[in-house]
Amino acid sequence: MPRVIRGTLITCEPAIKSIIMHINAENNNEIVIEDLDDTHLLIKESKIYDLKRLLDLRLKETLKVEAPLDDSD
Amino acid sequence: MSVQSYQLSDYLEKLPGTTFRKLYQQPSTAFAIFRRMLPPLAKVFVRAMLYMPGPFPLAQIDLWVKPEAKLHRERALSVLRSLHIITITPAGKDRPQEVHLTTNFAKSFRMVLEGNGDHNSFGVPSTVPVDPTVTVTFLDRYARKKWEDILHYVVNSVEGGGHGSGSGPKASVKELLVNGHLVERNPNGVGIAITQAGFTFLLQEANAQVWTLLLLWLEAVDHRPAAADTKASESIDMLAFLFTLAFTELGQAYDTQALPESRRAMLPALIDFGLLYIPRDTRQYFPTRLATTLTSSASALRSVSAGFAAATADATHDATSIGTAASDNTKGSVFIETNFRIYCYTQSPLQIAVLALFTNMKVRLPGLVTGRLKRESVRRAFNYGITADQIIAYLVAHAHEHMVRTAAAQGTPVLPSTVVDQIRLWQLETERMAHAPGFLFKEFDSFEEYDGMARYAEEIGVLQWRNDKNGTFFVTKVEQLRDYLKSRKK
Repeated sequence: MPRVIRGTLITCEPAIKSIIMHINAENNNEIVIEDLDDTHLLIKESKIYDLKRLLDLRLKETLKVEAPLDDSD
Repeated sequence: MSVQSYQLSDYLEKLPGTTFRKLYQQPSTAFAIFRRMLPPLAKVFVRAMLYMPGPFPLAQIDLWVKPEAKLHRERALSVLRSLHIITITPAGKDRPQEVHLTTNFAKSFRMVLEGNGDHNSFGVPSTVPVDPTVTVTFLDRYARKKWEDILHYVVNSVEGGGHGSGSGPKASVKELLVNGHLVERNPNGVGIAITQAGFTFLLQEANAQVWTLLLLWLEAVDHRPAAADTKASESIDMLAFLFTLAFTELGQAYDTQALPESRRAMLPALIDFGLLYIPRDTRQYFPTRLATTLTSSASALRSVSAGFAAATADATHDATSIGTAASDNTKGSVFIETNFRIYCYTQSPLQIAVLALFTNMKVRLPGLVTGRLKRESVRRAFNYGITADQIIAYLVAHAHEHMVRTAAAQGTPVLPSTVVDQIRLWQLETERMAHAPGFLFKEFDSFEEYDGMARYAEEIGVLQWRNDKNGTFFVTKVEQLRDYLKSRKK
């Protein structure tokens, strides 16, 4: 008999996955249920919005935003 | 990604089988479900099986379908089963699986086709002389006014200023919007604020909006404190009445006296929504375009963008033009330049508010507003749960006639491709990860068991991901797989 686990499947690039694993470690491993492969993770359904917020924060720190279009009107 | 608003299919999926049996007693319901909810192949199956005297071996259905289309076959059967239109006997050792149409559905559907029976489920026309001022134009204007009042109420909440009394919708409708979480009361008790679901609601085409509101209404009835059995039958009857209305004819007067008491009680709310018009002191009701087009679209499962495509195709006379196109003329009024500037010839606060959801507004002149699509403004919209496709579809649907004509003459898309691509890219930026709720299956006893089940999940279209090395896979829905497991155990 197979085992069935309820959760949310995350699909992302390996780079993003490693950031998520990092965030998970900082949060007492409360987010990720199972590490499936390089690009997939199973996480707790209730944590998806927390994770999104934390990931956005993290990306904001690391990603450079392109210079805005000059607005001349 | 975005907060999906509530759709008819989701609502129906949750209903138990007994409810469907009651629903299908009414011929118009059976017909409406057939017309609106089924994929083409499922329709073929139903029509083929309709006059079969007995059950039909499941294996025979394979003969009707090309081997390549197995996926479609499984999906069609799964939709038919979830809507309780067919039942499939469990596989036994000595006899093959059989399919048959459920009795009530088959009976009602035959009645529709043959036009017999005294069921009145398509409404009873009034015999009393009709007031000549109630024309189709009048009804359209009336419905549009009612519906825009509701949309205005939702939109005005964007600025946080609660709409005063004035010409807004009835208190009952406001209550419904709050309970449905389309808008929320501010914690300080003053005014209301729009929610993510509310934004998605605003950008839908009218037909989907109407259904969203009606389903909220049905749910509200379900949750009303009353004896459990009476309220269940109440919401079933309400749903059945909505399907009846969907088959009424625009501009035709119908007799309120022919309605049972329970349905007559629904009339005031339907007037508040703008689905019906009832002249004073008469026993007639007129369905408006909002009501008569309830089930007329090809499919309930279409995406918002497809809905917009349909809306643009026949925007001049369809009910869809009532909804988000709030300008006085039903033609589009938005110009977009390749430099992301937007000009919109409109006076309608509704349209301006919708544009302001994803545009950086700059100048407002009498009859004209200008603004610019910006990374921040579009991202703000994404945060509200609006998708890039919704924004693009909205702009296409409301593009000014000149843009449409020039594009058609040059054979280019209506919107500048730079703008479209950039909006999509902005969305990709926010989608560093995709997520889907569901169930992970693992630790199978054998590879064969795993493989068989993963294949089945793929056929019924719920498989998201599989990993043959570890013998695990992920699905979005689990009910049918549970049945499959059970049938294998026997």
